[in-house]
Amino acid sequence: MEDLLEQAVHGLTLGSLYAMVATGLALMFGVVRLINFAHGEFYMLGGYAFWFAFREAGLPYPAAAAVAAAAMAVFGLAYERTVIRAILDRTWHVQLIATLATSIVMTNLAIIVFGTQPKEVPTTLSATILQLGGIRLAWHRILVLVAAVVIFGALQWFVARTKTGKAMRAMSQNREACAVVGVDVERVARATFALSAALAGGAAALVSPLFSIFPDVGALLTLKAFAAVIVGGFGYVKGAIAAAFIIGIAESLAAGYVSYAYKDAIGFIVMIAVLLWRPQGLFGRRIGI
Amino acid sequence: MRRIAWTLGALGLVAVPWIVAGVAPGQRRYILHILVLTALWGALALSYDLVVGHVGSLSLAHPAFFGIGAYAAALLATEARWPFAAGLAAAVGLAGLAALAVGVPLFRLTEHSFAMGSLGFAMVTSIVATNWVDFTHGPLCITGIPKPALGPLRIVTLPQFWWLALAAVVLVALLYHGLTTFRLGRAFHAVRDNEGLAAAAGVNALKYRMLAFVIGAALAGGIGALWVGYINVLCPSELAVSVTVNLLVIVFLGGVGSLRGVVAGAVLFTALPEILRVAPTWRLVIYGSLLLVIVVKRPEGLETALRALGRRGARAA
Amino acid sequence: MALFEVHGLVKRFFGVTAVDGVDLALERGELVSLIGPNGSGKTTLFNCVTGYLPVDGGRVVYRGEDVTGAPPHRVARLGVGRTFQIVSVFPRLTALENLLVFLQQHQEESFPGRLFRTGRVRRFEREALDRAAALLDLVGLASHAATRAGHLSYGQRKLLAFAAALMPDPELILLDEPAAAVNPTMINQMKDRIRALHRAGKTVLLVEHNMDVVMDISERIVVLDHGQKIAEGPPDAIRRDPRVIEAYFGT
Repeated sequence: MEDLLEQAVHGLTLGSLYAMVATGLALMFGVVRLINFAHGEFYMLGGYAFWFAFREAGLPYPAAAAVAAAAMAVFGLAYERTVIRAILDRTWHVQLIATLATSIVMTNLAIIVFGTQPKEVPTTLSATILQLGGIRLAWHRILVLVAAVVIFGALQWFVARTKTGKAMRAMSQNREACAVVGVDVERVARATFALSAALAGGAAALVSPLFSIFPDVGALLTLKAFAAVIVGGFGYVKGAIAAAFIIGIAESLAAGYVSYAYKDAIGFIVMIAVLLWRPQGLFGRRIGI
Repeated sequence: MRRIAWTLGALGLVAVPWIVAGVAPGQRRYILHILVLTALWGALALSYDLVVGHVGSLSLAHPAFFGIGAYAAALLATEARWPFAAGLAAAVGLAGLAALAVGVPLFRLTEHSFAMGSLGFAMVTSIVATNWVDFTHGPLCITGIPKPALGPLRIVTLPQFWWLALAAVVLVALLYHGLTTFRLGRAFHAVRDNEGLAAAAGVNALKYRMLAFVIGAALAGGIGALWVGYINVLCPSELAVSVTVNLLVIVFLGGVGSLRGVVAGAVLFTALPEILRVAPTWRLVIYGSLLLVIVVKRPEGLETALRALGRRGARAA
Repeated sequence: MALFEVHGLVKRFFGVTAVDGVDLALERGELVSLIGPNGSGKTTLFNCVTGYLPVDGGRVVYRGEDVTGAPPHRVARLGVGRTFQIVSVFPRLTALENLLVFLQQHQEESFPGRLFRTGRVRRFEREALDRAAALLDLVGLASHAATRAGHLSYGQRKLLAFAAALMPDPELILLDEPAAAVNPTMINQMKDRIRALHRAGKTVLLVEHNMDVVMDISERIVVLDHGQKIAEGPPDAIRRDPRVIEAYFGT
C-alpha cells in the first residue's frame, strides 16, 4: 500500500513536470497555432541555466530557479523573433520540420558545450527524506506539487484577469476577430512564447534536483508533452494539463509495477489508445485556455 | 543521344569498382563502402519520399519499419538459419504488415496527430528494441549476421555489395517511378495537393495514403535486410529519431517528390560528411541548420535550384 | 421516386443550428436554385449532402439509396458532381491532368489489367483523354491543357473546376455559386453552359446570390433563411413572396 502511494506521488511529480511543459506547448498551439517541436529543448536549456546559476554561480535555490525561468523567457523571445517569425504563416509541415531541425541543432550544441555526462543538482530538500508511516519521499517532491498548484493557479488568474491573458484566450478562440478588434496580435504572440518558455525553464528548475540534466532530455519530453496535448484535445490547455497528469501517473505506476525499462513507452501507448478510441482527444474539440 | 548517355551512365555505375581501383587504389575499400551506404540511403530515402513527397503524409515512423525489417532479417538469419532471400522476403512482408496494422488507426487522425502518432510508434519500437534484450539483444546488438547468399552466389566482397546495393536502388527507383506517374501518380498527387477535391473526384484518399504508406514501409524493411547483410551487426540505434532527421534532410534538401532530387540529396548528404570527416554531433548541427534554412527558404530543395541553374545555362548557350 | 431527396436535415455547430430541418426534393432533369441571405445554411447543406460534414439529423437519399453520412468519394462515385464556393483545383497538375483525376473512379479495374495495359485499359485511357480534351474545349481552355492549374487565372480555374465536375458524367450536379467573382461579360456564357446541362437531361442544383442568374435560368427556387426553408416555387412566385422579401431586406 505504501508502495502504491509512493508511486502515486512520484506520478504526481512527473505529471507536474509534463503538465508544465505541455501547457507551454498547448499555449503555443492554442494562441498562435504553432507546432513547436523544440519545446523540450526549452526545458533542457532551462535546466542548464538553472545548473549554472545554482551550482556554478552559487545562487540560493529560489533565485536560481527565477534565473532559469527568466533566462528561458528571454530565450523564448529570441526564438520567436528568429525562427518562429519565419515559419508562422507556413504550412504545419514546414513548422514541424523547422522546429525539429532547431531541436537537433540545440541538442547537439548542448552536447558540444556541456558534454554528455548528466549534471546532478541536488538541493537540501531533494536530499532530505520525509517519512510518513511506511512512505519515504524526498521533501522536494512536495515542493514540486505545491509549486505546480501555485503556478497553475497563477496561470489561471493571468488568463482570466490580465489584459494580455484575456487576449491570449480570445486569440485561441478566434484569431481573425482579435486582429479586427484591435488586439496587438504580435505582442500577444511574443508574450505567449515568453510565457511558454519560462514555464519550461521553471519546470526544469523545479524538477532537476530530482532527475538530472543532460542534452537529450528534451526529445522524450517533447513527445510526451505532445502526447498530453493530443490526448487532452489539441488547443485545450486544461485538457492538456489533465492528460499530462494521467500520463505521469500511468508512467510511474508502470515503472513500479510493470517494467521500469518500458516506462517511457507508456505515455505513447496511452496516447495511441486514446486516439484509437476518441481521435478528437479525451475532452473533445473544445478550444481555449 | 539520350539513350547513349543513359547506357554509358549505367555501364559506368556497374564499372565503379574498377574505376575506383584505377583512380584511387589506396582508398578503394573506403570509397566503395561510402558508395554502398549512399546507395542504401538513397533507396531508403526514395521509399520515404513516396509517403512524404507524393502522397503528402508526414510520417515520422519510417525508421521503425526499417528496423522491423532489419531485426526480422537479422534474427531469422542468426537464430533460425534462414537463407538470405527468405529473410529478405520476410523483412519486406513484416514491415508491410506492421504498416498496415499501424496505418489503420493512424490514418483516422488529422495531420498533426498523424505525425505525432507516427512518431509515437517510432519511439515505442525504439524503446522495445532497446529493452527487449532477450529477443533483440538490446544495446548488446545482434552480431555475426551472415553475409547474403543467393543460391550458389555468395556476396562477400565490396564490389559485390556495391552491385547488390546498386541493384536495390535501381529497383526501388523503377518502382518509385512507376508508382508516381500515370494514373496512380495523379491520384497520389491529387490526394496530396487537395484532399477535399480528390474526394469530390471519387478518389478514396485513405486507400491511396495507405497504399503509399505500406509500400514505403515494405521497401524500408527490405532495405533493412540488405543493411544487416552488409554491416553484419544490428543495434537499436538504427531505429533512432536521427534516422528520420537524416531522411528529412535528404528528401527536403534534395527535392521532395523528385527522383533526381532525392538521389542527389542522398549522394550529397551521405558522401559529403564521410569525406569531410565531421564529428557526428557537428554533422547534426550542420544538418539541422541546413534543414532549417532550406525548409524555410526553399522547400522544393536542390531540384528546383538545379533546374533554375539549368534553365539559365540553356539560355546562355 | 425523386432523383434526390433531403428529409429533415439538421446540422449544428457549437450550439448554432446552421441547417434546421430542411426538406428538399429534385426530380430527374430539374434545374433548381437554392437561395437565401448570407449565413442561411446553403453551403452547409451542400457540404452535408455530399458527405463533407457529418449531419446531426435527417436523411439524404439519392436514387432511392440512403447516403446520409456517406464519405464524399462515395457520394461522388454514385453520380453526384459538385463545385466548391472557393474555387478548388489541383494546382500542381496540368489542366488536362486535373480532368483525368475525375475519371479515376471509372478506371479501377483489375490490377493485372492495369499492370499489363490490356486493350480495355488502353481504350479507357484513350476515351478519357478524348473526353477531357472535349471538355476543355467546351470551357475554352483547350490552349491551356498543358498549363499547371496553379498558374491559371481565377476565372480560368473556375472554368476548369466546372469542366472537372462534368468529367465523370454525373447525373446530379451541385454548383456552389457559379456566378461569384465572374466577369459580368462572362456571366451570359456561364448561364448558357448551365442551360446546356439542363437540356442534356442533367439534374442541377445551384446555390447562388446573383438574382438575375437565378431568376433567369431556374425552373424552381428554394429559399432558406436561418437554416429553414421559408419558400419554394417558380421564379415569379418567389419574386413576389413577402416572406422572401422580408428575409432579404428585413422588416
